[in-house]
Amino acid sequence: MDSKIEYPRQTKTIGWRGILFALSVFLLSISDLSAGVLVAPTSVILTETKRTGRLTVQNPTDKPKEVTIHFSFGVPLSDSLGDVKISLQDSAITDPRSAVDWIKAFPRKMVLAPNSSQVVRFVARPPRDLPDGEYWARVVIRSQEGETSIPAASDQEKITTRLNMIMQTAIALKYRTGNLISKLEVVSTETKLVDSAVSILIDMVNRGNVSYIGLLQCRLVDAKGKIISKGQVDLAVYRDLKRRIVLPVAGENLQKPYKVEVAIATEGRTDIAAEDLIAGNSIEYSALVE
Amino acid sequence: MSFRQGTNTIARLLLCIFVAVIIGTSSFVKAQDIATGSATATILAVLAVSATHDLVFGDVLQGVPKTADKTLVADAGVFQITGAGGKEISMHFQLPDYLWNSTNEDRLVIAFSGTDADIDTTAAGTPAVHGAGAIVDQDPHNLTDTSIGATDNILQIFLGGTVYPTVDQRADAYAADIILTVAYTGN
Repeated sequence: MDSKIEYPRQTKTIGWRGILFALSVFLLSISDLSAGVLVAPTSVILTETKRTGRLTVQNPTDKPKEVTIHFSFGVPLSDSLGDVKISLQDSAITDPRSAVDWIKAFPRKMVLAPNSSQVVRFVARPPRDLPDGEYWARVVIRSQEGETSIPAASDQEKITTRLNMIMQTAIALKYRTGNLISKLEVVSTETKLVDSAVSILIDMVNRGNVSYIGLLQCRLVDAKGKIISKGQVDLAVYRDLKRRIVLPVAGENLQKPYKVEVAIATEGRTDIAAEDLIAGNSIEYSALVE
Repeated sequence: MSFRQGTNTIARLLLCIFVAVIIGTSSFVKAQDIATGSATATILAVLAVSATHDLVFGDVLQGVPKTADKTLVADAGVFQITGAGGKEISMHFQLPDYLWNSTNEDRLVIAFSGTDADIDTTAAGTPAVHGAGAIVDQDPHNLTDTSIGATDNILQIFLGGTVYPTVDQRADAYAADIILTVAYTGN
């Protein structure tokens, strides 16, 4: 199923969402955050009719933090084993889907006082005649101690060291324009029984013009249809991606051959607001375990 | 005790509990600054990266390599990533090859081996005693993408390393940056 979304769209304020957000911030604030900053939300969506956005950076510690904001380009990429990495590219970006050059942030440098927060705003100034689809950047929030000191040697003939621990959080920023199509295709599926686990490697290709954001669910069943184990992973396919899921084989009286039931859909994501998700096609199939 | 007295007692008790909760959760009140300002945020998840302990080599002697052990609480660099439990993250270290002295005239070699990082997805885990399911002996140059612990909503990285001073290394204070970049892989 392809989907098309027309802008402008209404942004709803849901009370429960605020409550859940406050709860999540509370849970994080009581954890040990003796250094570092907290960033929310974890992705920013801009559109041709809503070209500005914001995120909040909070310093929950009792020390000042030096924070800088810059943009990089990076999408989830996988290796042949299905391990996913996001490599950030700061310069010489030639990808036609990059929004790095025309997204601006304000402010870009700040010193956050203890227990304070700062709203960072974004504005998109895309080139004219931008083809329909989605354009990507990563907002990199870099934080380090506002005051650093190098420890003095206990003896003047000795050597002392200081390693500054710098933290960077990379947040997805997407700019959407025109007709948006979310469509995924599964190219191949490999299943393999190794010791007491089944490894499933799924090769996918994005056939739409937006990133396919959804959920990949796998169930391992025996010949009688008994569910042996199941697992799921959040899916973000920007171009092509291999994902590996390992399901344990545990239980008694299991009959071979085993089968893996795979379901991929854009529904089921609880961490992303419904209005930010582009509904796409669903895929369901099964594969015998070799 | 009459019905009215009983009601007053319960009301006082509730008031005391209310006051105690307010005082005891001052951090919640602070957090609400953000919560109020972001009530219209469209995404609930948050992500926080922090360094709770520096990588410490202590005093170093000329010509004597010194290792900061990732399994020693006093030595290990500790990074904590807090966010949505069960969500997978990509982690990337930018590690230095040298530390430079205060005048940038002399440098001290630093190296990280292919087993200098451990990953722990529990809050109780320490460099010395990891939690259940810890992933040990990881290459800090190429960390495996891992899910944030579903129970404690946390992931910790314990980092070690070694410095190699030359025999004529200048006695001075040397510094460098270690940069950890974290991103969710699912959005």
